[in-house]
Amino acid sequence: MENKKLTFAFMDPPFENERTITFFRIVDAALDGGADVQVFAYEGAAALAFALQKAHGNSVHHRDAEEEAHPLTKDWIAALQKKAERLGRQLDWVNCGLCVDERGVNESIPGCKRGSPADLWRYASSSFNTLVIGTR
Amino acid sequence: MKGYLFIQSQDQFYDARTSAQYKLVVSLAEAKESVSILLVQNAVLATRKGVESNIYADLNQHNIQVYADELSLKQREISPEELSDGIKPVKIDVVIDAMLNGDKVVWW
Amino acid sequence: MKILQIVEQAFRTLVEEQDDTILWLTQSMAGAGANLEVLLSGNAVYYAVMKNRQPAVKIGDWVQQEPADIPSDLGRILEQDIPVYVLKHELEERGLNVDMLRPSIKPIDRTQLVSLYKQVDQVWQW
Repeated sequence: MENKKLTFAFMDPPFENERTITFFRIVDAALDGGADVQVFAYEGAAALAFALQKAHGNSVHHRDAEEEAHPLTKDWIAALQKKAERLGRQLDWVNCGLCVDERGVNESIPGCKRGSPADLWRYASSSFNTLVIGTR
Repeated sequence: MKGYLFIQSQDQFYDARTSAQYKLVVSLAEAKESVSILLVQNAVLATRKGVESNIYADLNQHNIQVYADELSLKQREISPEELSDGIKPVKIDVVIDAMLNGDKVVWW
Repeated sequence: MKILQIVEQAFRTLVEEQDDTILWLTQSMAGAGANLEVLLSGNAVYYAVMKNRQPAVKIGDWVQQEPADIPSDLGRILEQDIPVYVLKHELEERGLNVDMLRPSIKPIDRTQLVSLYKQVDQVWQW
């Protein structure tokens, strides 16, 4: 197969739903499967790459911030970017620009761009296959 | 052969939509399409032996392969031995295999 | 490449976004050249029979100026020659029927749904 590019559209924000970790696991598996990956983050998912996400301690767990090592979706994206680079694969990420604006999450980590639904169509039409994970 | 993989994240105890979804996959299978379902997240709660529903046995009878995400099972402490007949635990990689096979992969 | 857009999560964003975000996305992608068909499914079958703009919501002194207008959004989609389907049995199980549909929306049954799945290249369930 020549074109091993896969596109994923995702809609959920961080810290709200189990769909988020399933989505990240699927993208991780796509890189393992030898695919280049393109992500279109729509609606709440535009906050997944928000650079100002901050890990916190947890007094209920009796752990400070370092001990708690709280997961942040921006770190998961960065980890996928590193993995893609290590494997020689491409990981492109576009946030819906209007979704970013209305949520005030403009400051994304490096490598995550601002775009529009035209990018989703551009991604999908240049990919071998696409999976949409809608919100509920 | 290209087919369909439906990723079922909704569980039948909570989401009434699952009934209509399973009718659709049976219809596709009856139309000679190759159909598989991957249960993820709380959808795997219905995989344990003793659950009052034989929906997966019915799907199997229509040659629909039913998979369950290994991590979702582990998180809920459902061991492979506790699974109803016809449900195969798999890694999430099956999603990528299906996508790279050109299957229509649909998230529920 | 033809894509079936399945819209299922009705009324979710109508106040905050002043539209249904998937109908909006559909219009935007079609404008960029996408070859799309739309299936209104689940509670979104209600969109196929709606006649009016949404009521304006008030929160404190804030009053909504531009409420969502689903009939107009669907009208624009139909004007873009995007076929819009609705499942007859999903209308009926909600006390609606095909006589209530706006013109140009195509009611289909379960057999036709299977054909629809088969005739497109990808199914995007939103």
